[in-house]
Amino acid sequence: MTILFTVLAAALAVAIPALATAWAQSRIGPAIAASMAEKPELSTTAVLMIAIPETMVILGFVVAVLILFSKAA
Amino acid sequence: MIIEMSKVRILGPRDRLADVLRSLQDIGVLHLAPPGALPRLAPLQLSSSQERERRHLRDGLENVQRALGELGLTAGQGPSAGGAAPSPADLVRWVRLGWRVRRAAERLKARGAALEEERALILKYQHFFSAFRSLLESEARWPNATAYHVLLKSGDTETIRRLRTSLTALIGDEFQLYAQPLPSGETALLVVVSAQAAGRVERLLAEARVQEIPVPETYGGKSLTEAIPRMLLRLGEIPGEMQAVQRERDALAKSHGAELRRARAGLHDRLRELEALPLSGVTPHAFVLEGWVPADGRGDLEARLTATFGEDVAVSEISKEEWKSEEAPVVLSNPRLLRPFETLIRLMPLPHYGTIDPTPFVAVFFPAFFGLMMGDVGYGVVLAALGLVLHARSKPGTLLRNVSEIIGPCALFSIIAGLLYGELFGDLGTRWLGLKPILFSREEALIPFLLLAVALGAVHIVLGLGLGVASNIRRHPRAALGRGVSAVMIVLIVLALLAAVDVLPKSFFTPVVIALLVAFPVLIVLEGVVAPIELLSTLGNILSYARIMALGVASVMLAVVANRMVGAIGSVTVGILFALLFHLVNFAIALFSPTIHALRLHYVEFFGKFYSPGGVRYEPFGHWTRDTATPAP
Repeated sequence: MTILFTVLAAALAVAIPALATAWAQSRIGPAIAASMAEKPELSTTAVLMIAIPETMVILGFVVAVLILFSKAA
Repeated sequence: MIIEMSKVRILGPRDRLADVLRSLQDIGVLHLAPPGALPRLAPLQLSSSQERERRHLRDGLENVQRALGELGLTAGQGPSAGGAAPSPADLVRWVRLGWRVRRAAERLKARGAALEEERALILKYQHFFSAFRSLLESEARWPNATAYHVLLKSGDTETIRRLRTSLTALIGDEFQLYAQPLPSGETALLVVVSAQAAGRVERLLAEARVQEIPVPETYGGKSLTEAIPRMLLRLGEIPGEMQAVQRERDALAKSHGAELRRARAGLHDRLRELEALPLSGVTPHAFVLEGWVPADGRGDLEARLTATFGEDVAVSEISKEEWKSEEAPVVLSNPRLLRPFETLIRLMPLPHYGTIDPTPFVAVFFPAFFGLMMGDVGYGVVLAALGLVLHARSKPGTLLRNVSEIIGPCALFSIIAGLLYGELFGDLGTRWLGLKPILFSREEALIPFLLLAVALGAVHIVLGLGLGVASNIRRHPRAALGRGVSAVMIVLIVLALLAAVDVLPKSFFTPVVIALLVAFPVLIVLEGVVAPIELLSTLGNILSYARIMALGVASVMLAVVANRMVGAIGSVTVGILFALLFHLVNFAIALFSPTIHALRLHYVEFFGKFYSPGGVRYEPFGHWTRDTATPAP
């Protein structure tokens, strides 16, 4: 049972930030695409804006790894 | 590094201003700026005739550029600097030439488009005629009938059914409806109705919004049978006419191309000269010009002006106390190996003059982070091959060449990291060649990999804070001290953590914590109440480097999954094909994601600690050489 909860916790640690990242990028993507149509020099900002929400899922992944490994130890 | 600039002041008699500007344009090193406030000095205003000339030349330049565009000659360069200045007669001739050639080129373009359109229309009729040839040929035998030719989109059978029902309801059985599919996928309909019912049927077709093809009047005749032979004859003539249009266009490009390019450069140069005039200050008898020149080029500028104008013109250096470093233009200058990485810096606004050029640091850390994320000997070799192909196919100084030269170190670091992780196309190296990891295996040692990533982050961020100290120490000493204390606190926090987990002796822990407690109020005094938030944000920045581990693990896992496809799918051949496809997808992801994230780690985390954006681009007043230098309206 504990293993089930551990795995579930690890899965949620990735899934919830992944949904949050997807939602954030779905808002940022069209906005930055529209901005770049007007000002192509914003391409660097576009890269940064798209990459910033990915931090959530990356940190979620790290937390998931830590959950799984702490259990294994 | 950002090269040192000198600000110079040029003084001379007012009647020599135009000559001096022309000479400066030939030398091409002075970045002009409006002169500072001096007694009795006023900025020069363009006279009404000069304003008129400027507008006229702008229109002329627009025509020349449009003409070159229409003739496909935009890529050419301007003549080399130092040529004779264009005479007023040349300018007038070029303006007229631009207008004349633009008009001719646009006329030819319109003619070509009309011929294309006519050909497409005739082809549509030709298909229709082929579908109902026998029926249309008997059209003449229907004295009291009217024929309608309709085109429906492919698969639109519902419209045919509805049309038939509507026609029956409207005129009973006084119509015939024939349908034939066309090679284009559309459906041709021929509707024959009695002459009395024609008006009602026309209204019905209009309401149903079907695409009726009327017999075009251009080809005469009231029926398609009469018009089609004329159309087919015309179809045979069109290719010849199109070739004639192309020949005429080529002849126009051949006869005027070189002169139009000269005109483009000459008009640009004269416009630049006119736009430089308001950047000079004048008194009733003298002029003053000011601007920046690279410090090691100042002597040459002075010598050349003295050689041309003798004692009429005086050049002097303005002392650094008289100008603000933020106003000086920025020129990045780095060794040949590091220069391609300036491309990554130019994606951001340039750094202020007098601050730090981060190119050397980016040149070391960007490929290192990229390599740690990709970390595969096989992918590294493929990437190196890709870089070599790009290098061979690009010209020096182009964006593509710079990208190919950035790919080189990235591929090298990927191969080195691949050897450290023992990876060649995932676990293929281990399984086939017995490749062993030198450092650790990314598949298994996730925690060591995470620690490595975060440790690298700590080093990178502390380096950024150190650069922040160096960059601000003269202009903002308080902020510089704040950055320094932050850096020290980060180091102390790391030491405390290492002591807590027994990596360092336990005896380190207490003195390090005491040092932290002392440093914290100092930081608040230096940076204010936001200091704790800043410190937390800096710690967050360090944790952000965990993405190196996350992306690295994702990359190796995908590669391993690709390799397992060979055994997982029944047929070995299909398995190998799937594995190759998966590796290709993984390589594409491994190319894109590490680039974006390594850039982000630099732009957000690293640059945030010291980078001061907003520098002015060095744009010396010189001859026009390429299209990006179009003066602003």
